[in-house]
Amino acid sequence: MSEVDVFMKLALEQAKLALDSLEVPVGCVIIEDQKVISSGRNRTTETRNATRHAEMEAIDALLEQWQKNGSTREEVALKFSKCSLYVTCEPCIMCAAALSIIGIKEVYYGCGNDKFGGCGSILSLHTDSSEKLASGGVSRKKGFKCTGGIMASEAIDLFRSFYEQGNPNGKGDGEHFFRPGEACSCPCAGQPILVSIRV
Amino acid sequence: MDCNGDESATVKIIHIPEKPPILPHCQPTVDVLASAIEPKHANVLVRKLNHIAPLEGLRHIKRIRKTCLDGGKNQLFVILCMGSRNDGETTYLPEEVLELVNTYQLSTFTTKVGHLAYVMLKGLKFCFLCFVEMMSCSHCYFTPSHLIQVCKYAALTKEEWEEQCKLWPTSFHPPTYNIDGITGFSEEDSSSVLNFMKLAVSMAKSCTSVVNAAVIVDPSSKHVIASSCDEVQSCNPLTNSTHMESCCSGANANKMEKDPILLKCSSSEAKQSYDNISCLRPWGWLEQRLHLRPDSWHPLRHAAIVAIENSAARDRRLFPLDGHSAELAQEDCKVSSPIGSPLKRQKTYTNVKDDDERMECHRNGSLCDSTKPYLCTGYDIYFVWEPCIMCAMAIVHQRIKRVFYAFPNPNDGALGSVHRLQGERSLNHHYAVFRVLLPEHILKTVLLTTATKVDQCTTQISL
Ligand SMILES: [Zn+2]
Ligand SMILES: [Zn+2]
Repeated sequence: MSEVDVFMKLALEQAKLALDSLEVPVGCVIIEDQKVISSGRNRTTETRNATRHAEMEAIDALLEQWQKNGSTREEVALKFSKCSLYVTCEPCIMCAAALSIIGIKEVYYGCGNDKFGGCGSILSLHTDSSEKLASGGVSRKKGFKCTGGIMASEAIDLFRSFYEQGNPNGKGDGEHFFRPGEACSCPCAGQPILVSIRV
Repeated sequence: MDCNGDESATVKIIHIPEKPPILPHCQPTVDVLASAIEPKHANVLVRKLNHIAPLEGLRHIKRIRKTCLDGGKNQLFVILCMGSRNDGETTYLPEEVLELVNTYQLSTFTTKVGHLAYVMLKGLKFCFLCFVEMMSCSHCYFTPSHLIQVCKYAALTKEEWEEQCKLWPTSFHPPTYNIDGITGFSEEDSSSVLNFMKLAVSMAKSCTSVVNAAVIVDPSSKHVIASSCDEVQSCNPLTNSTHMESCCSGANANKMEKDPILLKCSSSEAKQSYDNISCLRPWGWLEQRLHLRPDSWHPLRHAAIVAIENSAARDRRLFPLDGHSAELAQEDCKVSSPIGSPLKRQKTYTNVKDDDERMECHRNGSLCDSTKPYLCTGYDIYFVWEPCIMCAMAIVHQRIKRVFYAFPNPNDGALGSVHRLQGERSLNHHYAVFRVLLPEHILKTVLLTTATKVDQCTTQISL
């Protein structure tokens, strides 16, 4: 088993934890020097905060830990620039932007996210585009290396399980992933596969 | 309220649509194949054509056009089918359409206009009869049908529609959606929008440097649900919680309504740095230097992210899970570490209004269920600066209904300036976006000098 697969497996374990808690099963780990230094899973239902995606959880945990250790911002930025993120599903537009803001080195993801993927599916926030910054805009956009399709079928299987057991936010009988009048109501799992596996 | 009447008359609220505005005469077009027909065949032909050759994606295009010929005679034209104008190639005519053409002898149409009559339009010669570019119409070549251009997208404005009809008539339905405000704001609504925007502006400048601020509002009750300034760094040297409360909890919304001139500020504040507005410089967190405490910064705690966190906390507090009493749940909130806040900065809420609401829920348990919000469904959010792409997507996730911002964000604005997230059809939720042009005198007192500069810059770009 390759190193990439080993880390993705850990991310999948996080996703399983989410599934066990009736959350949309997305999980991730952050790796520095071949070591897991943080992990996270979706907690949107529990928190009633639809922005609490696995990536945000893992980043926040890491920042808390580093700040506790008294790291300066420069040190934190340097550390992030050496970190890789493994996540079971393509980061959404929000998370992809967040990963760019913190300056992560690289991202490996499982299945794609055709509804709100920010690493190529809808927007490509990982590509280092020196876009037109207005005069005075000092901000330097940071891109990151991004590789998809790592153990994608395992990630999709988890979504399928979630789909079958029912989304606590959705109305209905355990088959419904959609609230009335809305598209998919889960924050990070708008994968087309979810629609197509419906039988 | 009444005292704001004059102000609301000067506030302008502009809808920022899903697609960038196009000059009316530059609208994209597609080719269709059209033919002249006898008026007596019009009805049956339209019915048959709609069945065998529906105009996919062109529901705004009228199938029939009436053109007044010289001598006062009217001529009807019908769109036969979609056309493709590949250099010199003849357009493929579907068999069923061809059948119709033969049945109704559409091919017999040969008005002898020839090349003699034409009009000049934008430097091109157009056939007098049908306004098709010279040499490519049936009147020039006596062919049964010819390619013409129609507008590809439905008109969003009356101006676009008028321009479209010069090519071929279209129908125009002013956007209605189900979102209030797209078709205009009443005076009362404008005044309310202005008040909440002023609250956001006052929060944005309440720190030593100007930051972004986000205020989440329930428009049906006109209550502030949650709010926050940027917390990318502890921008506020007055770390005592009372100031934070009055500045950032949004509890002063009522006071706000009674105090329209909330934005008095000393001129010494006019020269402020705008480097700390997180959505304007999302990547600038490393460079920002300001009253730093070692544990008081977070690159992702933009105003919207924190405001959403606060509204989620309110949700959990007011509407605890079944089987818990509200008090118990509140205890839970205090004891367990605040979810999503690694910085242990969340204060214990003692918002009077919240308590009232909760008491009401207690008195009437059934009410509680029906009023339980799902995320921020139906709520508005007010930003001083157009949100960055991270924040814009965060409020999609949280199901915000309408977004208002005062100043555009040319660096990373996601609602019209750099991206246009409201136009991404693949997303599972869509909100309407508005820009609030603050009245002159408020701009003057607030004097967000850089903002105005940024503003001018964007205006130039967009025009
Ligand atoms: Zn995400
Ligand atoms: Zn932002």
